[in-house]
Amino acid sequence: MKSVVTTVVTAADAAGRFPTQSDLESVQGSIQRSAARLEAAEKLAAGFDKVVQEAGDACFKKYPYLKQAGEAGENQVKTDKCYRDIAHYLRLINYSLVVGGTGPIDEWGIAGAREVYRALNLPTAAYVEAFSYTRERACAPRDMSPEAAKEFKSLLSYVIESLS
Amino acid sequence: MLDAFSRAVVSADAKTATIGESELAALRQYVANGNKRLDAVNAIASNASCIVSDAVSGMICENTGLIQAGGNCYPNRRMASCLRDGEIVLRYISYALLAGDASVLDDRCLNGLKETYIALGVPLQSAGRAVAIMKASSCAHISETNTPGMGGTRFNKMETIQGDCSAVASEAASYFDRIISALG
Repeated sequence: MKSVVTTVVTAADAAGRFPTQSDLESVQGSIQRSAARLEAAEKLAAGFDKVVQEAGDACFKKYPYLKQAGEAGENQVKTDKCYRDIAHYLRLINYSLVVGGTGPIDEWGIAGAREVYRALNLPTAAYVEAFSYTRERACAPRDMSPEAAKEFKSLLSYVIESLS
Repeated sequence: MLDAFSRAVVSADAKTATIGESELAALRQYVANGNKRLDAVNAIASNASCIVSDAVSGMICENTGLIQAGGNCYPNRRMASCLRDGEIVLRYISYALLAGDASVLDDRCLNGLKETYIALGVPLQSAGRAVAIMKASSCAHISETNTPGMGGTRFNKMETIQGDCSAVASEAASYFDRIISALG
């Protein structure tokens, strides 16, 4: 999985050399910036169920038609699946915060998502609304420190972009 | 290839759980000891040729048959292959130590190593012994317990700030042990 360390090691291995000073410098840079990321991951994990609930509620509030017959949230089973998908994306954001790159979101979230949503006839606008709400709702320093919030919001933006 | 962080992600994903406080504690440990780890990788990389050639010489001293006609380090061509392999093994250990995870060692170095050595007729016992000597000298370099007596003319102390590097030294030792047991 792509991260600063694995990128450095792959490059060093391709050249057949030991890790150089500059390799170690770039790993150190990533380590120094990791405190904010890990804090965001921890706070997100701590309030996870609530964040998912509020994001899902926001999306059904903006698009009430989704609850009508024949739509993506027509019954409880389908509605639950919408919340499950939101939880899935937020879990991947939690992972990406830990890894320090978008690897988990790219590999497990975005790859093939467009094809799946088209095949299942799901509206991506509803997900966009859910994550936009979460992005607005996250507040520093109430929820997490400003640096952590910045990391969290930039990954939310990344997911929103991929769904737009 | 995984590092300490992506290892946590892969194991959390297997149970579709988020990464919470308990898992993050181990990663914060990696972050807190980051500089020690980088110094340790630097200690290995900066003394690599010394560590490797010392290990191969030691292996031969203990078993001089290796450099007599018919031995596996005779002639120079095969001795050179031996030194090259020692350096490759040490290089993958430095990667594993940097990543804080053995997956790079398993995937890129150990996968098929024993079978290759058996096919080429390389004595596994001697190879394991060379790795064991590399382990001793690498750990001495990491924890800076090397002495002029041990180092001889190539003695080199890294002069880093004093601190307790026993955790990272024992982690490095575990990667050497992984190779020894893979060859066993």
